[in-house]
Amino acid sequence: MQNPYEVIPSYLYEIIQESPLIRTLRLKPEKPLQFKTGQFIELSVPGIGEGPFTPSSSHYINDNLDVTVMKTGFVTGYIHTARAGDTLGIRGPFGSHYPLEKFKGKDVLILGGGCGLAPLRSLFLTMLTENKDYNSITFCAGAKTPKDCIYKDEVSEWRKYENVRFIRAVDAVPEGEEWDEDVCLVTKLLEKVQLHADGNPAVVCGPPVMMKFGTKDLLKFGYKEENIYLSMEKKMYCGFGQCRHCVMGKYYACKDGPVFTYDRIKNEEAIWE
Amino acid sequence: MLIGKRDFFNFLTGSLPNFDNVIVAEKEISSSVLYLKKIGKDAGKKIELNSFRSTNPLKYFLYHVREKVYPAEEKFPLNIIVGVKACDLKAVQILDKALLNENFTDPAYYQWRKNTYLVSADCDEITESCHCNLVDGKPFADEGYDLNLSSLDGYYEITVGSGKGKNLVDRMTKEFSIKDSSDEERKIIKEKREQVLKKLIEQNKDSSRKENYGRFRNVEMKNWEDESSNCVGCGACTNICPTCYCIILNDESKLKSEEFIKVRSYDSCQWFGYARVAGGGTPRSKMHQRFRNRYLCKFDYMPSNFAETGCTGCGRCIDACPAGIDFRKVVHNTSINAEQLI
Repeated sequence: MQNPYEVIPSYLYEIIQESPLIRTLRLKPEKPLQFKTGQFIELSVPGIGEGPFTPSSSHYINDNLDVTVMKTGFVTGYIHTARAGDTLGIRGPFGSHYPLEKFKGKDVLILGGGCGLAPLRSLFLTMLTENKDYNSITFCAGAKTPKDCIYKDEVSEWRKYENVRFIRAVDAVPEGEEWDEDVCLVTKLLEKVQLHADGNPAVVCGPPVMMKFGTKDLLKFGYKEENIYLSMEKKMYCGFGQCRHCVMGKYYACKDGPVFTYDRIKNEEAIWE
Repeated sequence: MLIGKRDFFNFLTGSLPNFDNVIVAEKEISSSVLYLKKIGKDAGKKIELNSFRSTNPLKYFLYHVREKVYPAEEKFPLNIIVGVKACDLKAVQILDKALLNENFTDPAYYQWRKNTYLVSADCDEITESCHCNLVDGKPFADEGYDLNLSSLDGYYEITVGSGKGKNLVDRMTKEFSIKDSSDEERKIIKEKREQVLKKLIEQNKDSSRKENYGRFRNVEMKNWEDESSNCVGCGACTNICPTCYCIILNDESKLKSEEFIKVRSYDSCQWFGYARVAGGGTPRSKMHQRFRNRYLCKFDYMPSNFAETGCTGCGRCIDACPAGIDFRKVVHNTSINAEQLI
């Protein structure tokens, strides 16, 4: 019998400091992990604990994966002390994924902010592998300040594709920092881009308040509830609906999500908290 | 079929079935409560199988308070638990749906279930907090047991409920005399069951409004603020509830080790840190929100997930509560408020 709690030791071979608080860890699991973009894993620090993270790399790469982690609590604090050469544990993958087959031939909008860009980078990189299958891909990304922007070194590469548009905004530019792109809330970017709401999908991930207002704006622009894909990252503890920490009414974020369409969860409580 | 009570215990502790542990509902000396306890070869005197439910729920023996789940243990003892009540069997049905389904099997729970014989016994007595009748339960089991025992003077009337139970009876017949029960004897058992049910209905006559359970979600917050005003959030209710199965998963590997060890232990949705995420956000920061979550879990979420009410009416949460909160009264008051929503 397969043990659902199985931990796969994974070799940490590179760390990228994305921003003062965010790092991308590049890991090589002892055996390949077949995840689908949008699914999450549990990453453990031996003797400390584990937490849920969505890989930020393409799901077409099987023998290693990237995990982007913001230092914000106990476990993430320890994850940030890990060094190249250390071994971390991975359980999973768990949960639902982005339904790429439904996105094919469509104008796909991706809206994200802060560390919420991690799963969206995975989606984006996966889609870039076969970018011609999509009519267009528009990625609106936000951060607090220029130095909080992540995946900085990759942006120019992402902007080379003909049917791909990557735009970003920061909330503010503190003195001494340079920025020649937009300064506004990321949701404001929606007014700048040519939106084709009719029947097309929009994918949202970011801090709860951004997801809440982002969803409201998308509805205002005519996106249908069933075409708005939200990554509901709650306290996914076990990964398979046993521990109930991530319960959202009758749903479990870990098992029924983390990717939900808005129409499924709009009547559940406290989804934005 | 009937077996002498003495014979039954001699069989249990004898060498033929060779159980590693015989766990029996036993009355504490100078106390009115019962505990499910491991017994030795000489036991039998204090055992009162047909009294009311034990203080400790059956889940403690199948889904342990603390248990290593990775790497999974391979050897599990062969256990028999005798004197289990209908309410606990109903709880095991919910645990089975949660922990042994097509998407997920908890390895330790699976092994304990497989290696444990469950012998239920009719309730000939009830305690003040018993209220299974309010949640479609009865003080005797219809299903979910390997064997069921109904007390009849010096004998037990045995009902077989599974293939495992039948094997036990086959072994029993080789060693001890077993006779068929008469129509008259079966009638006595039936009447006794009806009497106990009547007592339960009488005891809980002021709190029967189950038709409103489905509407709890819409009851205004004031109801929950009022009902939870004495709650200290200790989590005794969820710890002792036979259907609560929330856990935390601890990493107990050595620091920097490459051999990972995962241990699960009970958690409680009544605790502040339960749903808190990194950074401090939590969907239920207030006590009344967490208090409400427990009731919605039992009467809304579990019915949606498992098509069963999450409360079996055992009343242990009432006995365990240091603030004296009566689950029945909360449900009753909430039901009245729910009724006004129609």
